[in-house]
Amino acid sequence: MRYCDSPAAATSGSGWCWRRSRPKPSPSWTSAPGTPRRGSALTRSPFSASSTRSPTATPSTSTRQGTKLRYRPGVIIGGKGLEHDCGVHRGIGYFLEPLILLGLFAKSPIAIRLKGITNDTKDPSVDTFRMTTLHMLKHFGVPLEGLELKIDSRGSPPLGGGEVFLRAPIWVDEGMVKRIRGVSFTTRVSAQIENRIIYAARGIFNRFIPDVHIFTDHRSGSFGGRSPGYGVSLVAETTTGCLLSVDATVSYPSVDEINEDSEKPELISPEDLGVQAASMLLEEVARGGVVDSTHQGLLFILCALSQRDVSKVRVGQLTPYGIETLRNINCFLNTRFDIKPDPNSNTVTLICTGKGVTNLARKIS
Amino acid sequence: MAPADGGGEQPHKAHRQHKSGAKARKKKGKGKGAAGDDAGGEQKNPKAFAFQSAAKAKRLQARSAEIEQRRLHVPIMDRSLGEPPPFVVVVQGPPQVGKSLLIKCLVKHYTKQNLPEVRGPITVVSGKSRRVQFLECPNDINGMIDAAKIADLALLLIDGSYGFEMDTFEFLNIMQVHGFPKVMGVLTHLDKFKDVKKLRKTKQRLKHRFWTEIKDGAKLFYLSGLIHGKYTKREVHNLARFISVIKPIPLSWRMAHPYLLVDRFEDVTPPESVRLNRKCDRNITLYGYLRGCNMKRGTKVHITGAGDFSLSGLTGLADPCPLPSAAKKRGLRDKEKLFYAPMSGLGDLLYDKDAVYIDINDHLVQFSKGDENDAPKKQGKGNDVGVALVKTLQNTRYSLDEKLEKSFIKFFGERPSAQSKDSDAEGNTISSRKDGQGDEQVDIVNNSNAVTMESNGHSECSSDSEADDDDDIQLRDHNVDLREEVELYNGRLRRKAVSANFQDDVDDEGTEEDDNDNEESGDDQLSEDDNDSEESGDDQLSEASDSDLDGENEKTLKWKENLLSRQRPNLNQLVYGKHSTNLDGVAPEENHDNDSSDDEEFFKPKGQKKQSKNESPSLDDIDAEDCSKFFKAELRDWSNEDLINSIRDRFVTGNWSKAALRGQESNENGEDGEEIYGDFEDLETGEVHMSQTAETAEGNSVIHKEDDPELSADEVDDDKKKSRREQSNGGDYFDKLKEEMELRKQMNISELNNLDEDTRVDIEGFRTGTYVRLEVHGVPFELVEHFDPCHPILVGGVGLGEENTGYMQASLKRHRWHRKVLKTKDPIIVSIGWRRFQTTPVYAIEDRNGRNRMLKYTPEHMHCFALFWGPLAPPKSGVLAVQNLSNNQVPFRITATGWIQEFNNTARIVKKIKLTGTPCKIFKKTALIKGMFTSDLEVARFEGAAIRTVSGIRGQVKKAAKIEPGDMLKRKGENTEGIARCTFEDRILMSDIVFLRAWVNVEVPTYCNLVTTALQPREQTWQGMRTTADLRRAHNIAVPHNKDSVYKPIERKPRKFNPIEIPAKLQQLLPFKSKPKDRPKAPVGNRVPVIMQPSEKKTNAAIQQLMLLKHEKARKKKIKDQQKKKAYDAEKAKTEQLTKKRQREERRERYREEDKQKKRARR
Repeated sequence: MRYCDSPAAATSGSGWCWRRSRPKPSPSWTSAPGTPRRGSALTRSPFSASSTRSPTATPSTSTRQGTKLRYRPGVIIGGKGLEHDCGVHRGIGYFLEPLILLGLFAKSPIAIRLKGITNDTKDPSVDTFRMTTLHMLKHFGVPLEGLELKIDSRGSPPLGGGEVFLRAPIWVDEGMVKRIRGVSFTTRVSAQIENRIIYAARGIFNRFIPDVHIFTDHRSGSFGGRSPGYGVSLVAETTTGCLLSVDATVSYPSVDEINEDSEKPELISPEDLGVQAASMLLEEVARGGVVDSTHQGLLFILCALSQRDVSKVRVGQLTPYGIETLRNINCFLNTRFDIKPDPNSNTVTLICTGKGVTNLARKIS
Repeated sequence: MAPADGGGEQPHKAHRQHKSGAKARKKKGKGKGAAGDDAGGEQKNPKAFAFQSAAKAKRLQARSAEIEQRRLHVPIMDRSLGEPPPFVVVVQGPPQVGKSLLIKCLVKHYTKQNLPEVRGPITVVSGKSRRVQFLECPNDINGMIDAAKIADLALLLIDGSYGFEMDTFEFLNIMQVHGFPKVMGVLTHLDKFKDVKKLRKTKQRLKHRFWTEIKDGAKLFYLSGLIHGKYTKREVHNLARFISVIKPIPLSWRMAHPYLLVDRFEDVTPPESVRLNRKCDRNITLYGYLRGCNMKRGTKVHITGAGDFSLSGLTGLADPCPLPSAAKKRGLRDKEKLFYAPMSGLGDLLYDKDAVYIDINDHLVQFSKGDENDAPKKQGKGNDVGVALVKTLQNTRYSLDEKLEKSFIKFFGERPSAQSKDSDAEGNTISSRKDGQGDEQVDIVNNSNAVTMESNGHSECSSDSEADDDDDIQLRDHNVDLREEVELYNGRLRRKAVSANFQDDVDDEGTEEDDNDNEESGDDQLSEDDNDSEESGDDQLSEASDSDLDGENEKTLKWKENLLSRQRPNLNQLVYGKHSTNLDGVAPEENHDNDSSDDEEFFKPKGQKKQSKNESPSLDDIDAEDCSKFFKAELRDWSNEDLINSIRDRFVTGNWSKAALRGQESNENGEDGEEIYGDFEDLETGEVHMSQTAETAEGNSVIHKEDDPELSADEVDDDKKKSRREQSNGGDYFDKLKEEMELRKQMNISELNNLDEDTRVDIEGFRTGTYVRLEVHGVPFELVEHFDPCHPILVGGVGLGEENTGYMQASLKRHRWHRKVLKTKDPIIVSIGWRRFQTTPVYAIEDRNGRNRMLKYTPEHMHCFALFWGPLAPPKSGVLAVQNLSNNQVPFRITATGWIQEFNNTARIVKKIKLTGTPCKIFKKTALIKGMFTSDLEVARFEGAAIRTVSGIRGQVKKAAKIEPGDMLKRKGENTEGIARCTFEDRILMSDIVFLRAWVNVEVPTYCNLVTTALQPREQTWQGMRTTADLRRAHNIAVPHNKDSVYKPIERKPRKFNPIEIPAKLQQLLPFKSKPKDRPKAPVGNRVPVIMQPSEKKTNAAIQQLMLLKHEKARKKKIKDQQKKKAYDAEKAKTEQLTKKRQREERRERYREEDKQKKRARR
């Protein structure tokens, strides 16, 4: 097996087990099998342990000096009442991304409760998922009724999934931004901070569009998780229904990190955070495309998985993650995209034919 | 139609109706009659034609609605574009029924050519827009299965004089399972009937039998007889017309998988490796029309009867049997009546990807093999040069590759400075080499077409490498004018014409150049200079190719890469690396990133270029955390007025027209867009502005249509039609679905047409109907060795996830004509999808509570589950099971049919197990049970399990029993392990048998064996795993017989009960009714008579007398005693009376006294 962790990881039997896609058509792995790089796939990240939860799901796991992991994916089972602790190294968004894809092809609908960090600086926040990602699926013919993401507390959102046929979209019209919405949150800090964020962000947006609403979501007590933090997630909706989102979060570093650094790092002030988030959103708008940079990978995968029709999508400049995903798709699904830059709008148009992946795991009688 | 179309140009004379005469009268009468009927109906009795009852009307309406609904099917989207592949007509029938003759006659009808022999598929152009591919179905079951999987139309030939044979029904069943194509029956051998009436009856009978099998009204065609050994022309013509009107049915499996019927098969293994090891793995090429769906490069394929292979090459070729041009005319010209049957040995030109083969029959080419001494002699004599040449060709000792290696000619004029010199020296000359054995000619044309002769014969190759480069140089100017002669004999044997863009050329060239460089450096000064100049040229051409420091070999390659990238600079290469050839190499990728950057600068917007530069290091860094978020290092200050203005139009508050333009232009077309720059944009702003603003509301699809000029006209038409349709039937769901599909298809077409050919193939794959060439490497040599053109080779694409093996659950039903039921775990051969494999299924049935219970044998007339291991197939694919592949052993070979329900399922199959035990000790309601379990551990596993006695007393396993040393068992020295303490709802008996009912998992054997019929002689029956019964039969082993399992007649003794003894006392109290009456006396029968001796008699009599005396005495004494007692009693009674009296007196006295005293005391 070339890749230690496939995006189409699956479960069988009792629980959930999946690995995060690590898109890397890195030929070095194949050319030089003895290089230490290979092992890095296992030891690379602290969160790999948390993402392979049930070892029984892997029928054959052979570890030779910890350099090789064989994983034979089965059928995605899905089911209700699943629970997973995502740990504290990565946010829930990191886990949600592949989970949404897996959910589409599961044997039975998925309802899972994820526990962990809802907002962090690395991964897309759950607000983004709720406001943007789930709506993105609409373009692929996934009915929104089956999908739900609820933030119980800033710590544990469950998600509903379904089984569908993906439709190939032709989705190139970006439209114009008609409104900006957002959610700001504070946990275990003063609710006043939110207002300061919103004020700052609106200050930027006022130059462009008046229709800006940023909601507040103040969580206190047990609903606010265990550590203080604040942040904002912004969504720009265009006339053609495209959603561009960004989020920014400030959280206090954990205790051990402080010890390592031995000096307390500067936190961004709420005003700065608001300005930062707003300019990030404007950056996204300037970049163009029907989805923001965060969702490029997901968009490409969905296009490649869809029916045997032509999909055409427009994105802003390709992100490294998007490119990795494209390579991965080429490698796993043998589907290539035709990528054409469009110099006028500084965007990229991608065309592909879907693979016609259907949910074969479902039983017929 | 004609008057409507041409009415404008040429006025036709109007039709004048006859006003009088017979015709006019007739017409008038007719019209009046019809009108009269209607009118009469209305006038005379209108109620007669109205609904009589509402219920009936409702029923009628419901019926018509039902019929209408039954007509509808879920519309299937036809994604095939372009010319359809030829229509496959499979001619099937039992042996000796006239299959080949029918094909020959049809081919003759279509092409006016006589076909000597039917081998392999034969493609024929049958009409202006239609091609037909005939395939004769072989007679063995494997061939039938394969043929059924590709048939678009099956002609079932039936021997009319004999009647139906099982082959026909088998084939029908196979087709039903694998998607039922169109079927037409053809009756032959009808000239054997002398009696017309009998013939008619037979036809009628066979027709009705055929109808019951397919449907009422299924077409059965009659071929009445032969004339000059051919079917009559008229009948063949009619049959051809029937074939021409049949449309193929879309079948879901075939729509989802690419497949092709191989009509040409070549072994392209290097002859050298074959010579060294005849059994080496071969490389083969397969040709055929692509069907089903588009096929991408890198698809895995299944070659039926051989296995799964990955394609090492997929190329589209020119259609060998193209449809005629679309010019308007009736019928086909003779020139267009094309005909392609490479396996039949017809058609003498074969166009390959990179070569053209000319086929000439062997008997036409016969050259005696001259010995070496003769050859020069004859040449010296001035004999025919051609003959000499061919002789030399026969003695060729080097393969093409070697020749190429040793010849040193530039295929490309790479060096502009040195070009002239090159062409002088070697460009148009022939370099040849001579050694002791013979000559060979390599004719290389400078630019692109290198025609190389290769002889296929015995002496084709050798691994000699004695020839020096010096020789070559010396001989370079030798046989300059031999070239024409080569061409003269261009068609003697099967041979190849190699063109320059042959893939291997790249390598060859590299090595060549190496040679070249070496020599030249040794040879002369001039070439050295050339070399330098070449390098400098390189540098000038590709400024950025700074990575070619490794060697000159790579340098040339990179140099070319650069050229390529210059031709097509785009993001595709950035993302996917180099063109598919070097996808897997780090070095080219990085290097590409570097050297393409300057090219990209040219064609790419600024931001992107920067990004690509940025990303390259990060991409190679595996250890980086992956996250989908994209961080931009520096955030710009968005309060800056310039920045604000730059995206002002992206907001609804901005300029709408400019924003609309932005969307428009990117759609326009990518190629042009790359060259368009700012000022041009402005120019177009005004133009598009007008049209676009109106249309923005309409949404995406409209915009698409606009931007594709070729299709726009059609689509506008489509739109019009659509809108009309919509109006006519307001929003019918079915029509809406269809329209959506049509729209989708148009969108696909328009998007794909925007792309250039290469990209399109990359993205979409080869379209159906393309004539493709598949190259497969590493095929077992048997496939080539035992290749038989009469058996179809079907190459099917393997879908996503279908190459995995796993458990599948199928719903299976034994075929009702198969004689026996099937046994669990007996191997059967299953055909699913493209594959045929042998597997051992476990049959099961679902119990009411959802449990899957194993069945030892399939039910006789019911579906059951079959679980087996094998390559996965998607749910709903048909399953066909065959147990016996041989042709003559069983009357009906189809064993079972069914479909796949699920794979990798979690359902467990269980079978019942009953553990029995007997009590060894019984307490009140508790008993110790032995013999049920073998160990205490086992008991512990079953704690709490429900048990039961035969008589129905329920109980539970409690725990393993504690056996004290004093216990009975212990004393007896029996095994005390596995004794369980159980409790029951009642006391059980020692004679009770206790049992525990449990379910045990059944493992499905992971056995799967591909039926590799293509890897063995076709006449040989494939032998896989044999069933137990077969093995027993083969080894003459009796069925094992367990004596205990045999049912014996049950013997039950009537149970004897003792008579109830009622105690006499109780008996007395009983009413008469219940008293025991008529009780049989003690049986008398078995008493032994005692015959006594006289002395004994005497003593006996004496004893009797004595006894009598004794008894008499006793009686008397008894009477006396009684009298005595009576007297005593009377005396006693008297005294008693007296005492009583006295006591009474005494008492009275006493009481009186007491009373007195009391009274006294009271006072």
